[in-house]
Amino acid sequence: MTTSSIGTGWPAAGQVTSVGGVDVLRGGVLLADAGADASWVAHRRRLGPLHQPDLTTLADWCRAVDLRGRGGAAFPFATKLTAAARRRALVVVNASEGEPASHKDAALVTVAPHLVLDGAAVAARVLGTTEVHVVVPSERPGVGSAVRTAIAERQRAGERLRWRVHQAQAAFVAGQARAVIELIGGRENLPVTAWAPEAVAGHRGRPTLLSNAETFAQVAALARLGPAAYGRVGQGAERGTTLVTLDGDGAHPTVLEVAFGTALVDVLPDRALGRPVLVGGYHGAWVGPQDVAGLTIDRAAMTEVGARLGAGVVLPLASDGCPLTRTAEIAGYLAGQSAGRCGPCRNGLPALATEVAALATGTGDVARVGELVGLVAGRGACAHPDGTAQLVRTLLLRFPAELDAHRRGWCSLGRVATRVRP
Amino acid sequence: MSARLRVDWPSCDAHGLCAELLPEVIHLDEWGYPVVAQEVPPALLPLARQVVRSCPALAIRLVGG
Repeated sequence: MTTSSIGTGWPAAGQVTSVGGVDVLRGGVLLADAGADASWVAHRRRLGPLHQPDLTTLADWCRAVDLRGRGGAAFPFATKLTAAARRRALVVVNASEGEPASHKDAALVTVAPHLVLDGAAVAARVLGTTEVHVVVPSERPGVGSAVRTAIAERQRAGERLRWRVHQAQAAFVAGQARAVIELIGGRENLPVTAWAPEAVAGHRGRPTLLSNAETFAQVAALARLGPAAYGRVGQGAERGTTLVTLDGDGAHPTVLEVAFGTALVDVLPDRALGRPVLVGGYHGAWVGPQDVAGLTIDRAAMTEVGARLGAGVVLPLASDGCPLTRTAEIAGYLAGQSAGRCGPCRNGLPALATEVAALATGTGDVARVGELVGLVAGRGACAHPDGTAQLVRTLLLRFPAELDAHRRGWCSLGRVATRVRP
Repeated sequence: MSARLRVDWPSCDAHGLCAELLPEVIHLDEWGYPVVAQEVPPALLPLARQVVRSCPALAIRLVGG
């Protein structure tokens, strides 16, 4: 254990646990026990017996703190919960975390598996079901083993739930909700068109409460603390804390828990100050240095600068980085991660990635990039083309001067101006 | 609520029949896939239903309305 200098806003923590090369900072609620004994006995000793509010109470509490899904879509959990509260419901914990730059679910499940499973157990009981599926990533094997160990401990302790663990494919889109439903149904782990929300008609047409791993941990925390204590921190209507992955695809990824309303600059390392930040991960939005300076981590503030926290991935641009080159790299990666099933995505993403790469070398056509953005957005079974479009759209919006510089053959946003073409 | 044609993207094979039958609502992108430009005006609803029925991939549905 070492002491970190990165502030978490609230509460001032500091201890760091390493999980598969990722630094996990001890936090206020979800990560309060990071680094401690994660076993069932130790977990129960620390938190006491499972708190079990009834459906109405839990839904009211979720509304009171504006609890939303932490997988990226930020859908109100109470709405999902009440929609799924019908006969033959089931619960799905999505810990697959397909985005390689996100580590918060892997970190959370590894350091506090029982907190995540507690949330699923609470949800299962209010829905009157005993069927809980947990989807784990195949490329981060520690997550699956933490989940399996925790389930075995719960079963030995006599918990009467039927847990099933599924392993998602190592693909960006494999963690998408419908792709997860396909996996659970024994079909190929790829997105398909959703004609109804999963809570209405999910696995085999049954009401399916499918949420991200962190969301279930938040449910457990809320059920245990109640809305007043849970909502002691927060910003406006949005109460509580959220998990953030910092520098997720860099050399030293960090996962930390912050209260909503925490200043973004308080979690950024010094070297990132004054630099643009990609907020929300590869499907996220570029935020310029001026906006970063005043930005707080909450939905209202993010919306004001045209960004969304998504799954909490915060990627500061490296001190010698160029936003055009960086976006071109990510767009290229995302194009390669298209499942190739939907025509506009299969054709449009590679075309878009090629055009963005051309922008970076100063030969691109901004109008053509804008046209391709319009052609892929909203035209797929999942949000992969939309997310890629948003990334590129915000590049065009935030860096007009840089685009111009590249067109004239120069890159100025890296510390040293470099020629991008002769 | 107004009616809208919605494409089942994984099923769509870019046959393009929809755009031929209902050019007022659908045109094709540069790869031959449908772009649903607007909601279906009530007067075109019968034609929209025909679009749904005649899609060779059964990849378009009428939702709402």
